[in-house]
Parts: sequence; C-alpha cells; structure tokens
Amino acid sequence: MNRYLRDLKYPALFLSPLILILALFIVLPVLGTILNGFFRDITFLPKKWIGLDNYLRLFADSGFRQSFVFTILFIAVSVPAEIILGLGIAALLHTPSKIRLFLRATILIPWAVPAAVSARVWELIYNYNYGLFNTLLALCSRDGAPVNWLGSPVSAFIALVVADVWKTTPFAAIILLAGLSALPENLHRQASIDGADFMQTFFRITLPVLRPIIVVTFLFRTIDALRVFDLMYVLTSGGPGGSTTSLSLFGYKYFTGGDFGYGSAVSVLLFICAFLLSVVYVRSTRYQEDVA
Amino acid sequence: MREQSVKSGLIYLGAGAASLFFLTPVLYMVLIGFCRTPELLSAHGHALFTAQNYLSVLSDNNLHFMEYLRNSIVVSALSSVACVAVASLAAFAITRFPIPGKMSLLFGVLAVSMFPQICIVSYLFRFMSGLGWINTLHGLIFPYIAWALPLSLWILVSYFSKIPKGLDKAAIVDGCTPWQTLYKVILPVATPGIFSTLLLAFIFSFNEFMFALMLTTDYRSRTVPVGIALFQGLHGEIPWGEIMAVSALATAPVILCTIIFQRAVVQGLTRGALKG
Repeated sequence: MNRYLRDLKYPALFLSPLILILALFIVLPVLGTILNGFFRDITFLPKKWIGLDNYLRLFADSGFRQSFVFTILFIAVSVPAEIILGLGIAALLHTPSKIRLFLRATILIPWAVPAAVSARVWELIYNYNYGLFNTLLALCSRDGAPVNWLGSPVSAFIALVVADVWKTTPFAAIILLAGLSALPENLHRQASIDGADFMQTFFRITLPVLRPIIVVTFLFRTIDALRVFDLMYVLTSGGPGGSTTSLSLFGYKYFTGGDFGYGSAVSVLLFICAFLLSVVYVRSTRYQEDVA
Repeated sequence: MREQSVKSGLIYLGAGAASLFFLTPVLYMVLIGFCRTPELLSAHGHALFTAQNYLSVLSDNNLHFMEYLRNSIVVSALSSVACVAVASLAAFAITRFPIPGKMSLLFGVLAVSMFPQICIVSYLFRFMSGLGWINTLHGLIFPYIAWALPLSLWILVSYFSKIPKGLDKAAIVDGCTPWQTLYKVILPVATPGIFSTLLLAFIFSFNEFMFALMLTTDYRSRTVPVGIALFQGLHGEIPWGEIMAVSALATAPVILCTIIFQRAVVQGLTRGALKG
C-alpha cells in the first residue's frame, strides 16, 4: 500500500460519498432545525425572527412539561427493566443447553417486527372489549372486571412500558450476551475453587467485570428511549389527555399542525439531551482499543 | 447431580417463560388474522376461523396492501445496497489509509447516529418538498441510506480492521490499484460482514416509521409500517382481523430472514454496538 498511502486522493474519494450523504440528509437538516427554532415559522404566516421566544413559550407550556416528565419517567422505568431482563436472558443464552438456539431465535422476533406494527398488535391486546388481557382476566376471575388499559394515564404508562420492554429487551440481551461471552473462562472456575457460591460469584465477580458493557447498553437504550415515537403514536396517540406524549411526539404534533418554529424548538431541546448523552457514550467507548 | 438437574430445570423454566412472553403477541397476531371477529375467547364470542382476512388484504386493491409491501421492499433493498456500498468504501479507506482526524470522523459518525429523528424530519420534509420528492420512492431511499450509514460504517470498520494488511500488501505487489484491492481482495474475505450489514440495513429501513410517515402521503410510496399504523376501517369499527392479517403477512419475510440468518444478525448487532 506504500505508494498509495501518501496519496490522499484515494481516501478522499472513498470517503466522499459517506460524508456527502450524511452532511446533506442528516447534518444539514439538524442545522436547519436548530436555526428554525429561532423563527416564528407557522404556515400561512410570514416567517419572522423571534429569537428565544419559542423557547420561552416552551418553558411556560404545561404540555411540554408533561411530555418532558413523561419521557423521563418512561426512560427511568423501561431502561432498567430492559437491562435486568436482558441480563437474565443473556445468562440463559450463555449457559449451554438444548433450548439455546430456539430461545435466541425467539427473542429476535420482537426485534425484527417494526415498532409500529408491534404497537398495533399491543393496541389489540390492550383493547377494552376483546383484547387478550381483558379476555384472560374474564376467564381467570369470575368477577374480573375489564381494565381500561389505555384509558388512564397510569395504566397507559404501564402498558407502554410493557410493550417497549417486549420490543427492545432482545437487543439488550444480545449485547449483554456478547459481554458475557467475553468473560474469561477461568473466572468462574477460580471463584468456585475459592468457595464462592452462585450469588457471591454473580454480584461480586460477574457484574463488576460486565460493568462496561452494562454501561454501554444502558446509554444506548437511554438515547433510544429518549427519542421514542412509533410506540406512542400508534398505541396511545399521546393520550389520554396528552399524558403519554413523548417529546418526539410532542414536537411532531406541532410540525403537522403547521407550527414548524415551535416544533423545531422542541427538537433542539431533545437534540441537546441526546447529544450530551452521546458525548458520554463516546467517552465511555473511547477506552476500547483503537479499531482502525 | 441433583444440583445439575435443578439448574437445568431452572434454565428450561426461564427459557420457557421468556419464550412465552416474547412469542405470545406474535402468535396472537397470526391467530386473530384467522378469525372472523376478534372476540376470540370472550363470553359472547366464538372462534370463527376463516382465511377471509388474509385473502381480502391480498386481493382488495382499495386496501393497497400489495403496494405498501412493494414500496417497502424496493426502498429497503435499494437503500440497503447503496448504504453498504458507501459504507464499504469508507470503511476500506478508514482501515487502510492514514487519514488525519480518522477517529474524530468515526466518533462524529457515531454521534450522528444518535440524533433524534424529530430533529431531522421537519427540515427534511421542506427539503424534499422543494425537490418535489414528497411521496416518491427516491424521496425515501436517500434519507434511509443516510440513516443506516453510521451503524453500517461501524460494523464494516470492525470487520475490515480484522482483515490482515498482508493481504493488501500482496495485492499491491501484484499490481492492484486500491480499487482493485478492495474489489478483489477485501470484499471476498469480508463477505460475512457485508452480508450482516446488508441484512441489518434492510431490516432498519423496512421498519423505519417517522420519515415514511412524514414524507409519504398515499399508497404510491407509503411503506408497510405506516400503512399498518394508519389502517382504519372503511366504516366505523376497526377491522382487527384484517389488520392482524396484514401485519402477519408483512412481517413474515423480515421475521423469517432474521431467524434463518440469526447468526449474521447477532454478529452484526454485536459488532455495531460494541465497536469491535
């Protein structure tokens, strides 16, 4: 490669499609959105610079506060649930057994299904009149009154968390499985020679060594949960009464309502949160060896 | 020995419970697709099994299901192939050439993959409107290429960096240009990685929702997820049987591919997330 190495023409050429496409279809739109947040940009009205007015309006907006709180709560409940469940499944997949491949195929199915489609199925499962849950409830207990799962803020929240855990735990499990597989073989053997039982081994040895992977998975899932949209749009449309409107959905509603400036301001705040998290994520993976 | 059987008993129990949890919604979906009414086990319902739902979604043109599927497949296939091509070129350059700011580029791309879609979609909508690309297939393909690029790049960099540079040296000695080195030497060796990336890019594009929701307006370019999400009955009552039938049919290809190629999927995801 020596005679080509000094010639920067090749890398420039090879990298240019990537840089061009990312710049044009991702970076440019984000910059445009950031800029747009400073304008009053509503359809049929003239576009006008209003500085921080959109942001001031946002901070006074109770709907925004509701969305913000909902999104934070959603992350706080679903991500740990996914990690814990994912760890359990990863442990199951790690142990040699006849059921291993079947289990792995099974957990990949929720991952493969589009989020919007899975949300539709969950919509039916939670249906008041003939959904799976209420039907089972009616069968199991004589006076099992049907629950209006999607009809009240708390149960809708739980419903969303369950649906999200169903869809995204597989991903966490797969990543954590990779972490488990990377553990040195003799770690557990050494521990049992030293007389440690299962609990001690797991909490004092396995978990600490797995910590970097858990952190990575945690960050990954948090950033994804922050921008969650499909599930809320299809399952609850942000209801009842806007109580399950994620931040992305909140911004989206303003875009479709024609208020691009306000929606852009919401997007920018979401972007800042995601960006800060991604900086933390990049920092935490930087300690891994240089791949290139 | 007892400890062994207790342990394996627990494993089967755990695996069984997990499988039940993850499979039930999907099985329910397929089952309801075969029912005339969704009141499957309830007091006043009776299981009337019929294939009518499946037949009508396949044949009824007003439902546009075949168009949605066609659009999804075309858009996902073209964008995933293009994405892998672009990412391969870049990964080759990154792993073989001394590029100033290489790590910054890689981590910059990583950061880009974490941008929320909502930050992109409004400007993208205006941009596409300006080009007249709303409700077209190419209007979806380009954003999808961009959207799948970061992950694809990271997966391919992870695979390419493990290919020994000795292969390149041998190729150069044989008189290959960098293009030829890539084409004749690296790609054949990296085929499993390329395949993983292709599969993942396809699945991500197929399942994408927000861009398709905003950038398409009717069946001419709408994709499956949007079509199913917006599927309402023609008269009042939501046709759950048909929705489930459509969902089952639409997701069957993706599910089958994932199960058949699960090793490739798992490897790709692992490398993409753990950076090598």
